[in-house]
Amino acid sequence: MTARTTQAPAPAAPTAFATAVSRARRIAWITPRGELLAPPRMTATAVRLLVQVCLVVYLWRGLYANTDSSAGLDETQAVGYAVLAVLANRIRGLDRRAGRDTVIQHLHFGTIVYWYLRPMRPQRYYALRALGDQLYGFGWVLAGYVLSLAVGVVAPPASLSVAGVFTVSMLLGQLVLYYVMMLVDLLCFWTLRNEAALLILVFAQNLLSGVYAPLWYFPDWFITLSMFLPFQATLGVPLSIYVGRIGVDDAFGQMAIQAVWIVLLALLTRRLWDRAGRRVVAQGG
Amino acid sequence: MNPTTSPSASPAAAESPTSRPGPPHGAAHAWRVVWRITKLNFKARLEYRGEFLMGIAVGAIWQVSIVVFASVLLTRFPGLGGWSSSDVLLIASMRMLAHGLYVLFLGRVQYMNLLVQEGVVDPCLIRPMPVYRQIQLAFFPVNAIGDLVVAVGLFVAALQRSSHDWTAGRITYVVAGVLGGMLVEAALFTALAAAAFHFPATSYWSQWLEELMGTFGSYPLSILPKAASAAFTFIVPLAFIAYFPAGVLTGHGGAMGVPEALAVASPFIGLMAFVLSRLLWSWSLRRYTGVNG
Repeated sequence: MTARTTQAPAPAAPTAFATAVSRARRIAWITPRGELLAPPRMTATAVRLLVQVCLVVYLWRGLYANTDSSAGLDETQAVGYAVLAVLANRIRGLDRRAGRDTVIQHLHFGTIVYWYLRPMRPQRYYALRALGDQLYGFGWVLAGYVLSLAVGVVAPPASLSVAGVFTVSMLLGQLVLYYVMMLVDLLCFWTLRNEAALLILVFAQNLLSGVYAPLWYFPDWFITLSMFLPFQATLGVPLSIYVGRIGVDDAFGQMAIQAVWIVLLALLTRRLWDRAGRRVVAQGG
Repeated sequence: MNPTTSPSASPAAAESPTSRPGPPHGAAHAWRVVWRITKLNFKARLEYRGEFLMGIAVGAIWQVSIVVFASVLLTRFPGLGGWSSSDVLLIASMRMLAHGLYVLFLGRVQYMNLLVQEGVVDPCLIRPMPVYRQIQLAFFPVNAIGDLVVAVGLFVAALQRSSHDWTAGRITYVVAGVLGGMLVEAALFTALAAAAFHFPATSYWSQWLEELMGTFGSYPLSILPKAASAAFTFIVPLAFIAYFPAGVLTGHGGAMGVPEALAVASPFIGLMAFVLSRLLWSWSLRRYTGVNG
């Protein structure tokens, strides 16, 4: 055995960069692998998406049965927006709770300490896990989008420039969403019981980002209020660009607001990560 | 579960068997135990005051988000499915009231998957109280307070805006309809909880069901195609929660896609659905082998 190992050429030691990439890939792959190894859960996701898309198409077509346009949106735009909202909402729809893998569960069970014992900073681990989740969710969105295009419930973007601006805005929106969700998770370090706060933020995110209905339908005071919050930047802006409710010329101003939110939230969460590490409490010892 | 919530930990149960003829029985004693545990659970939730207030806010905000969505639809698209705004408001308010009562009295089944995962069900099996009741007494649902406050407010507004005569018969039926709606919702989540004994990831389905109820349970199903409307009547029976009872009360009984007698029988169907779901629960509980097999 020893003779063989001495005769064989020594494998080249992986570079630090290759090790980091391999480690990042494995961490990002945790959630998708869990999903891919559970065919019933994937089937359930497919069924749920399909049924939900059908239902929102029926709902919005029914609502537009007696009118051609409302709040500047015609039926095609409204249906397209609603379908894309259902699909986009799946990007972060993974159920980590079943695997006891949410931040609040780690804090509750004390396992959060392992995040601080690994040879990787917790914020980087968090970012890689979120990246894996979002890429996996994006796969579902893409499949649903192609299918919706094929059956005609979503119209393609009006032009290449709209498609390009939408793509950039969607990426910015996902970054805003990432930071908002991180902010909610970081809140858990300061409050031992905060399920209620998390739920409120989820409701706020769904309502104020336009998941339930495009914000254009809401009263003016509601639209004004949402302008001062980051939620509409996550979904409402990119989807409005896609369906043509926000023109390409106006989109750049909205994307600038998205970028400002990203910078502000990034600075805030960076500061909070530093402080969070100093007050990790493992309940139960 | 907090050990103090166990009935066996009560002072009555701790007394020597020689000093009393036996442990107390009967419905009155059972209700006393339920009341005592509920009071303890309430005090336990008050331990975290901020979380307590936020819990109330959660219920209120959830209901308000439905009200906002409903008012947006009613403002932008009047004459929803051939129903007037006040009639649609009655559907929404009855569903919200039924939901609030469900959360208050029977809503803990929705957390079944977590209770199974955390091994909370196992000690319940050896305590002298039905497991279903113990699950309902696992904690006090603070959010129900917010749910009910908003729901009652909207219900009163709906009654004020309604142009119908509120006779004793109508009032009796509206009460029966709300209770029936509560039982339909409880039946659906109890059936899912029965599955949670064996498949801990059922929270995925619970969330979806809650979403469906919030989105489609508060409006006339006549705006949907017949296939979707039939699915919400016979597969996921959301229609029996508020749509059918409100339709009967507002005179839409003959135009809801089902025989009027079926719509009228909604409260009874709710009761039957709940009884059947409890039987399914008991059947599933008998086959429960613990989260690790």
